[in-house]
Amino acid sequence: MSEDWQASVPPEVEEAAQRRRVWRGPWRSLVFPLLVVAAIAAAIWWLGYRPDSGSSAGDVRYGPVELPTALLAPGMEVSPKAGGLAPDFLLETLDGGEIRLSDLRGKGVIVNLWATWCGSCRKEMPQFVATYDGNQEEGLEIIAVNVQESRSIIRPFVEDFGIDFPVALDRRGTVSDEYRITGLPMTYFIDRDGVVREVFQGPFLERLQDAQVQGAMEEDELTRRIEEILE
Amino acid sequence: MAEQGALRGMGWLRLARELDPFRATWRLFTNVRWAIGIIAFLALASLLGVVVPQVPAGVRGDAAAEAQWLAVQEDRFGFLTDPMNRVGLFDVFHAHWFVYALGLLVVSVAVCTVSRFPSIWRAVNRPPKRVSDAYFASAHHRFDYAPPAAGPGLEAVLRRRRYAVERYQEGDTLYLFADRFRFAQLATFVSHLALIVLLAAALVSRLSGFSSGLMIAEGASKPVFPEPTHPNQMQVQLLDAVGRFSPEGEPLEYRSELVIHQGGQEVKRCSTTVNSPCSYDGYRFHQAAYWGHGAGVQVRDLSSGNVVYRETLTLSDTLPSPRVIVRDGDGDLLLDEALVLTDALSSDEFNYYGRLVILEDGRVLTIGTRRTVGSDEWELAVFEPGEGEDTVRLLLGEGESARAGGLEFTYVGLGGVPSAFVSDFPLPPAASAGGSSGDVLLEMSNVIYGSDEASAGTAVPVATGSGPSELTIVGLQPQAVTLGPGESVEIGGYEYSFLGQREFAGIQVRKDRSDYLVWIGAGMLIAGLLVTFWVPRRRLWAKITPARTYLAGQVGRLVDFRREMAELARQAGAELDEAEGQESDD
Repeated sequence: MSEDWQASVPPEVEEAAQRRRVWRGPWRSLVFPLLVVAAIAAAIWWLGYRPDSGSSAGDVRYGPVELPTALLAPGMEVSPKAGGLAPDFLLETLDGGEIRLSDLRGKGVIVNLWATWCGSCRKEMPQFVATYDGNQEEGLEIIAVNVQESRSIIRPFVEDFGIDFPVALDRRGTVSDEYRITGLPMTYFIDRDGVVREVFQGPFLERLQDAQVQGAMEEDELTRRIEEILE
Repeated sequence: MAEQGALRGMGWLRLARELDPFRATWRLFTNVRWAIGIIAFLALASLLGVVVPQVPAGVRGDAAAEAQWLAVQEDRFGFLTDPMNRVGLFDVFHAHWFVYALGLLVVSVAVCTVSRFPSIWRAVNRPPKRVSDAYFASAHHRFDYAPPAAGPGLEAVLRRRRYAVERYQEGDTLYLFADRFRFAQLATFVSHLALIVLLAAALVSRLSGFSSGLMIAEGASKPVFPEPTHPNQMQVQLLDAVGRFSPEGEPLEYRSELVIHQGGQEVKRCSTTVNSPCSYDGYRFHQAAYWGHGAGVQVRDLSSGNVVYRETLTLSDTLPSPRVIVRDGDGDLLLDEALVLTDALSSDEFNYYGRLVILEDGRVLTIGTRRTVGSDEWELAVFEPGEGEDTVRLLLGEGESARAGGLEFTYVGLGGVPSAFVSDFPLPPAASAGGSSGDVLLEMSNVIYGSDEASAGTAVPVATGSGPSELTIVGLQPQAVTLGPGESVEIGGYEYSFLGQREFAGIQVRKDRSDYLVWIGAGMLIAGLLVTFWVPRRRLWAKITPARTYLAGQVGRLVDFRREMAELARQAGAELDEAEGQESDD
C-alpha cells in the first residue's frame, strides 16, 4: 500500500527523493566532507588537544645559561654526560640568593637533582649533609637542585634535615631538562675544571632486604668519587 | 546503427562511472549498509572491551608491568593470550584499528550528510508550492470536505496555526501552499553532526585524556606527572585527609584538603570530595581513596641535631592482637588489654606471636597466640617461666576462661593491629657500628579510624577505648619500644619519634577535554531527535473550489496528518461527521 501511494507522489514533493544522495563531483561530494571533518577536528584540536600553556611561574632569567667563553676548553663538548663540560646554569636559591654553576669553577661540585616527594632523595640527603660537612674545607661544593617544587614544601625539609649547602630552585624544570635527567635522584660529579666526571642515578647507600639496590652506591665509592673531583 | 552506437556509448559511460575511484569511494561512504556495518563492528569491539580484561591505565606503556599483567592473564586465556594481545583485545579502546574504525564512521557520516544536504536544503528553501490536481487524489495524507457556509476560511485558520501560507488563484479555484516548522527538516543534520561530535569526543579522550592516581600521606606532596620534569608539572600537597563513618561503620564522607603547587608556587587551595572534585587549569582532583593506617616516624641524629629520617609509613599488614583479661584470686583486675605481640616464632607445625607481660603484682608472663598450620583458629597461649605447681601453662580458645597459678585468665577475642615490616630503617649508630639501616617491625595499636581527631593532620592524643594510638617498634633494641603520639625515645645516639597516626588520601587527577564535547554532542543529539520526532515539518497543499476543498500534505510518519487536516477543516467552519478525519488504512 505504501509503495502505491509513493509511486503516485510527484517526485518534487516526495520526501525520500529530497533525501536522496547526490553525486556532485569529487570535490563537492568527497573533498568537501573531508574538509568539514578536518575543520571539526582542527577546532577540537584547538579547543582540546593543543598543548597546555605551561607554567609561566619563575623568572625566565633562571635556568640554563651559556658557559662563559673563557671557561670553554678546546675540543671539549658542553654536555651533562661524563667527560663533557658541565652545562652552566643560573638559579635562584631557597634563601633568596642566586647561584651560578660556573662561579664555582675551581671547586669540586656535586650537583644533586632532587625533590621532597622522592623517597630515595630524602633518604640520601643526610649522606650529602655529612659529606659536605666533612669535605667543604677541601673545596667541595654541593648544589641541591630542587625540581619544580614550592619553597613552602622545601623549606621545612631543608631546615629539619640540616641542609647547609645551597638549595637551588629549578622551578620550570629547564635545568633538569638540560641535564637530561631520567629520574630522581640524579647526581653529577663535576671536577675543579668543570668536567663531569661521573653521572649517578639513584640513591646512595640504599639497601633493600640486605640486597644492593640496583644503581645504589657504597659509602666508600662515594668517597672515591669525591676524591676524584677534588684532585 | 546510430542508436546502437549511442547505447554502446552509454554503456561505456556507465562503466567509466563504475570504475571512477572517487565515485566508488563516495558510493561506499554513502552506503547505509556500510555505516551500519561499521557501527556493528564498533559495538562488537566495545562488547569485547567490556568482557575481556583491559590493561589498567597504570600499567599501560610500562613494558615490564605489561608483561607481568599479561603473565597473569595467561592463567585465564592460555595460548590465546599472545595472539589476543597482538590484535589488541586487551586494550580495545586504545587499539589502532578501533580508532581507525571510529574515523571511518566519522568520514562516512560526514560524506553522507554532505551528499544529502543540497537536496534537503533545496526542499527547505524552495519547496514545490504547486502540485498537480492528481496529487490531491493520491497523496498519502489527504482530506476533502464541502465548503462551509460560514467561518473564517482555511487560509485564516492556517495562518492562525502559524503556517506560512502562499495563495495562487486560477479562475474560481484557489490554491494554497502552507508550510510549518520549515527548518525542522534540518534537524536530521543536527543529529548527524552530534554523532560526529560524540565520535570526536571519543578520539579527543583517546588522544589527550590524562589520568593519574596519587596516594598521598597527610603533610606530604606528590607530583601529578610521572615524568621527572613536565612543563605543567604540579605537586598535590595533602594537608588533611578526612574519613567520617557512622557508628555502624558506614562511610559518610571522604574529604581531602589540598594545596596545588605549580612552577614553585602555591596556585590553589581547595577541598575535594568524591562528588565535588577540586579543579585547576582544566585538571580535576577527585577524592578516590582513603586509608587511615599510617604512622609518622622521625629519626634525629643527636650528635648533629639533624633529622636523618622522616617518613609516613603505611601499615598495610595486620598482626594478631588478642584481648586478654587477667584477675587475681580476689577478682581484682590486673590486666585488660588488646596486646601488641612483638615476638614471632614459626615452625612447620605452628605460627606463634607473643610478648612478655609484666602484671601489676610483678609476675612476668609470656602471652601469645598460636595457630596450628592448616587451622584458622588462634589459641591464646600463656606461659610463666619457672617450674612448680603454681606456674601458669594455659591454652585457651576465644571466649574461654581458666584459672591457673592463682590467676583467672579470659581470652576475650582476637583482633588485629595494623603493622608493617620496614626495611632500610635507620638503626641506632651505637648498636649498628656506624648508623646503618635494617629491618624493623612497626605495629600501631588503638588506631583511630575515620574521626576528625585522626584527620587533624597533626599528632593529637585522642582517647579511644584504651587510650591514644601507640606505635610499637621492634628491632631497634632487644626490647620493643612503644611510643605515644609526639613521644620520643633515645637509643644509641638517635632519637626516635612517633609523630602520630597519619591518614592517606587517594587522589585521582584527570584532564579530559572531551567532557564538554560529550555534553555538546549529547545536547545536539537530543535536540535533533526531539525536533525530528515531535515537531516535524508540515507541508500542506489546498485546492479550494466552490464545490469542495481538497487537502494533501507531507509530514513525518509519526504524525496523524489526516486528523490534523480534519481539525483544520472544522476550525475553518466545515461541518464534519465524528468519523471524518480518522486515520485511514492506507
